[in-house]
Amino acid sequence: MKSQAAMGFFTDTSVCIGCKACEIACKQWNQLPASEPVWTGSSYDNTGQLSATTWRHVQFIERIERPDIPLLELDTTSMPGTQSPALPFFNSDRWLMQSDVCKHCVNAPCLEACPTGSIIRTEFDTVYVQQDICNGCGYCVVACPFGVIERDQYGDRKAHKCTLCYDRLKEGFEPACAKVCPTASIQFGEVEQLKAHARERLGTLHERGVQEARLYGVDDDMLEGGLNSFFLLLDQPEVYNLPQNPQRPSNNVMPASFWTIVAAGVMGLVGIFIFNK
Amino acid sequence: MEELRIPQVSSNGNLPAILTGQLASMTTGYRPDPEQELQEPSYYDYPVLKAPVWRWEIIWYFFFGGLAAGCYVIASIAALFGSRDDRAVARTGYYLSLLAVLPCPVLLIKDLGRPDRFLHMLRIFKVKSPMSMGTWGLVAFSFFSGITAVIQASRDGILGRWWGPRLLAALPQRLLAIPGSAFGVFLGGYTGVLLTATSIPLWSRSKLLGAIFISSAISTSSALISFVLRLTRTPGPVLHKLEQFEWVALLVEMAGLFTFLRGSGRAARALVGNGPAEHGRTFWSFVAGTGLMLPWLLQTFSLLAGRSAKRGRGGGMLISILVLVGGYFLRRTMIEAGHTSSADARTTLWNARR
Repeated sequence: MKSQAAMGFFTDTSVCIGCKACEIACKQWNQLPASEPVWTGSSYDNTGQLSATTWRHVQFIERIERPDIPLLELDTTSMPGTQSPALPFFNSDRWLMQSDVCKHCVNAPCLEACPTGSIIRTEFDTVYVQQDICNGCGYCVVACPFGVIERDQYGDRKAHKCTLCYDRLKEGFEPACAKVCPTASIQFGEVEQLKAHARERLGTLHERGVQEARLYGVDDDMLEGGLNSFFLLLDQPEVYNLPQNPQRPSNNVMPASFWTIVAAGVMGLVGIFIFNK
Repeated sequence: MEELRIPQVSSNGNLPAILTGQLASMTTGYRPDPEQELQEPSYYDYPVLKAPVWRWEIIWYFFFGGLAAGCYVIASIAALFGSRDDRAVARTGYYLSLLAVLPCPVLLIKDLGRPDRFLHMLRIFKVKSPMSMGTWGLVAFSFFSGITAVIQASRDGILGRWWGPRLLAALPQRLLAIPGSAFGVFLGGYTGVLLTATSIPLWSRSKLLGAIFISSAISTSSALISFVLRLTRTPGPVLHKLEQFEWVALLVEMAGLFTFLRGSGRAARALVGNGPAEHGRTFWSFVAGTGLMLPWLLQTFSLLAGRSAKRGRGGGMLISILVLVGGYFLRRTMIEAGHTSSADARTTLWNARR
């Protein structure tokens, strides 16, 4: 019997058009409540961030402080008296869009933190929260270096995040967001195949002169194992609020415990000396 | 060595804010540079991380857990290595330890999003998760604290003279105190390790929170035991050893905090800074000031003045209260500043650049 390969997302932001079909499909399939409509004032983003009830979040970044990128020039010789108009909004160098999602890390900090065993790896190698076990302790929330998972404070008070449409995968369907994406910016498939495709796409973009293009989470050094849901970005990760090189929280347990024991040892020895007199 | 420059004075010349800023810069070695930091890229300053969901229940749990742990450890040191006179310390410590541990499970269960599912904490034993280990550690310590206090009560005649207490009184209390103290050290320090094993910059950049919490557990417990002993008018020599121990614990705690701040740098601004959501004003006054430095100085003078000097009960009790209040505020500012730290996008992204 063929064992199931690891499945994940490749989100290619170079072809994202910011239509938000992914947000809607995700909400509709997972029966998530609508967020309160808010004008964020930061371009066309109206969700602001991932949350317990928003598992796909489209970001819009208007890069207007890039004087090195030439504006798109139009031919205006046939229209006397007009100035050459700048059309920044149709130039991908000026307006970045990304559909943000759970990274389904290979070494997921949320999974390592979870004290009830609620967060598991599925047979598709995705990270999944078992809702009948989670008791809302909130430790996964502070473990995630990407700010993905959240406790549903005003709802069922348990932790929620993208399931990579586990229920759809089990029936052989692709996730709702990948199915609905009109430009195939969100691609779903086997992680190894997606990584090969991502590297190929990066090469193509570099050849065409898009030097800012880079991959995020494809190499295994991110959290010491890489991400199963990775990205092609058109600027540094921090522009998308992605941490450049986050530390794996569980690595802190040993050094922190060591210093605790040292402090306890020092005070213990002094205490014994004092009381032994 | 960083040169001390006159800081930017805000338009209303706010002295507490200025002092807070100076103390913060001197300890962390970081001076905020708003112009430079505004150049750092982020996604419209939206938080990179999600805020911790923990509130007053966890703050008080940290406080009581530290007292339960510290009282047990001090009591055990007195019981195992002290003289006959020190038995008062052991007795008081064991009783206080049990009293302090009682509210702990209640607070933890109340804090859960689904308190009815608290038993799910005992489904697994995950060594990499301080919260999983902590749950088991609390269970184990509660057992030892309970049995030790019950043995003590039996020997003190509180439970009567029938066969039950007589059997309990015969149990080896000092032998049980050894694993009990080990679990006590675990309980007192693991909460700091728990905070460190997260992505919150304030809690995770330096690895010393566990050491700070265990030393605070010892200092607050020592203060509590001596407070109770003074209430019950215990003679002086017994208290003298406790005061010496408390002095050392405060010193270790202050050294740990300073090293923590030094190692955290910019990541500590949520705790010690003077910005709008930063907790520096509370930290420098109620934690570092009246919670640590002041009682430590008072204790230094008291110890230098010698055992023979007439010590007013009031002075000693004041020192104890200062330390206890300081210990509470240490945990409170640490948790609340964690909220602030999680919302600071630029510092989070700075912390992730390695």
